Amino acid sequence: MIIQISAEFLIRFHLCLSVAVFLVPAADYSKFSHATEKHGAACSTCHKIPTKDWTKTSPFPDITDYPDHAACVSCHRAQFFRGAKPPICSVCHSKTSPRDDVRFTFRNPATKRQFTIEFPHDKHQDVIALLRFAHPPQNYNNCTICHASRTVTFKTAPTDHSSCFNCHWKSQAPDAENCNGCHKLANAPYVTAELPSRISSKFIHDGGGERKQHVAECTTCHINITKAASLRGLKPDVPITACTECHNKVGARQDLSKELIALAKNHAFVCSYCHSENVGSRDAPASHYLIAERPPITRKDIK
Amino acid sequence: MRLVLFTILLMVAVVMAQSQQPPRQTGVLRLRVRVKADDSSPLRGLARKRFFLIPGTLEQNRAVVTAIEQQPLTTRDCYYKQHGASAALINWLKEGDCESVYCRSIEHDFVTGSKAVPEFAIAFAKGQSEFGHDEIAREWLTTNLSADLRDGFYRDRQQVLTALLKQGDAGIVQSVMTDRNGTAYFTDLGPATYVLSNVLPTEIGQTLVTWNCEVHVKAGDLATETPYVISNRKDRIVKCVGVEKPMPVCAAD
Repeated sequence: MIIQISAEFLIRFHLCLSVAVFLVPAADYSKFSHATEKHGAACSTCHKIPTKDWTKTSPFPDITDYPDHAACVSCHRAQFFRGAKPPICSVCHSKTSPRDDVRFTFRNPATKRQFTIEFPHDKHQDVIALLRFAHPPQNYNNCTICHASRTVTFKTAPTDHSSCFNCHWKSQAPDAENCNGCHKLANAPYVTAELPSRISSKFIHDGGGERKQHVAECTTCHINITKAASLRGLKPDVPITACTECHNKVGARQDLSKELIALAKNHAFVCSYCHSENVGSRDAPASHYLIAERPPITRKDIK
Repeated sequence: MRLVLFTILLMVAVVMAQSQQPPRQTGVLRLRVRVKADDSSPLRGLARKRFFLIPGTLEQNRAVVTAIEQQPLTTRDCYYKQHGASAALINWLKEGDCESVYCRSIEHDFVTGSKAVPEFAIAFAKGQSEFGHDEIAREWLTTNLSADLRDGFYRDRQQVLTALLKQGDAGIVQSVMTDRNGTAYFTDLGPATYVLSNVLPTEIGQTLVTWNCEVHVKAGDLATETPYVISNRKDRIVKCVGVEKPMPVCAAD
C-alpha cells in the first residue's frame, strides 16, 4: 500500500510541530520538584538515613545532605553532561564546577518548602505530658521538649528532627525511614511564615513581675492545644480570660478596664498595655468589653 | 448591554447575600475536676487527664455509657506486670505517675548504677553500640525498648477507647486534657446536651473512677462562667460525682 503525502501536508505538519515545540516549555532542570511524577518513589530511593557522614554536621543521626549523584544520574545522565555548566547541578551545588563539590546547606533555606508537616498535639500530650501527682518540684512544661524559648517573649517551634527522632528514630511509628508519616507533599511549594501573628505582642512568657507569674503550665492559657489533632488551623488560642484572671480583677489590677475607660473618652486612644500600636488602635473586641462589664462600642461611636 | 451587566451583578449580589449565614452561636464548657485520693486527703485538681464530650443525652448515649461502665478494667501496674516489667521500672513509672516511659526524661541515675532500671540499662547499652555516643544513647533510649514496655499501655487504652466510642452514633466527640489545676475548656460547642465522660477509668488512690455526666451547653456560655465541677466526692459545688470501683486484682499477682 502506498501512502501519498503531499508537499502541502508536510509543510503543515512541520508548522504544527514547530508551534507545539514552542508552546511546550522546556524542562527547567535547575529546579527540583518532589511533585514530578517520576520523583514520587519511596523517599529511601534517594535519601539514605542517616547520611553516612552525619557526625560532621549534626549532633544526632539524621539526613544531613543531598542524595548522592547516583540518585539523579540513573535518569538524568543526559542533563549531567550537557554543556560546561549543566543547570541540573545547581539544584544541590552552589558552584557548577567539576573541581568544586560544595553544596548548599541541606535543606536549602532559599528554596520553597515542598512538604507539609503533620503533628498531632493531642496524641503527644497524651504520652509526653502525663505527670499527675508527681513529687515536687513538678515540671509540667513538657511542651518545652519541642518549644524552647527563642526570646523571653516567644517560644520556638521545631525546625529540625532533634525533638522527633529521640522517640521516632526507629520502632515508634512513624519512624525515621517513614518520612511520609509526618511529611505530606504540599499542593504547591510554599514559604513558611517565620513567626505566627501575635495579638498581644507585649506579653512575655517569662514575665509576670518578680514572681514570674506568667510561668505557668502551657495549657492553662493555650486551652485548645490538647484537642488539636493536626497543625492545620492551629492558632495560639489564648482567650482573654487567661490574662484577665490576674489583669482585671476587682480589688486588684484593672489593666483592661483602665484602657477601655480611656478609649471611651478618646477615640484615638491606643491600647498599649498588651498591644503594639497596629493592634491597639483597632476597635476593642466584644470579649474585652464583656470581661470589663462595659457595653461594647466602636471608635466611630466615640466623639 | 449595560442592562444585562447590571442584571448579572444584581443576581450575584442576591446570591451572595443569601449564602452569607449568620454567625454560628457557640458556647464554652469550663470543666474543673477536683478529687480526693482518700477521705483524709484534701480535694485537689486532677491534672493531665483527658475528658470527652459526646453529643446527646445520657439516654441517647445509653449504649456507649453502658459499655464504658461495663468495660473490663486493667490498671497500669497490672499491665506492666503482665508484660514482664521489672519492679524497678514499675516503681519508676509510679514515681511520676506515668502511664508510659515517655512522660518523664530518663536521667542518668536510672541507666547505670544502683538505681538503674534493668530495661533502661539494656536499651542504653544497645544505644551506645548503635550511636557511639552516651548522651544520644540515653536521650534516645526509648527507641531501644520493646514496644510493649514503651507505649503498649497507651496503645491498648487507645484501642479500648476507640472501640467504646464506636458503640454509639454520637457524631463528633471532642476531647481535652485538664491542666495542673484540673481545669479544661471545651470550646466552640454548639448549644446542646452532651455526655461528659473520661471513658477510660482514672486511677485515684486505691480506686478507679468513671464519670458519665449530662451537661447542657447554651449559646453564649463563656470561659468566664462558673466552672462545671466534677469529683469523686459529693460536695455542694460538685455537679457530677464519679462512680468509684475498687482496683481489680491483677492476674499477674
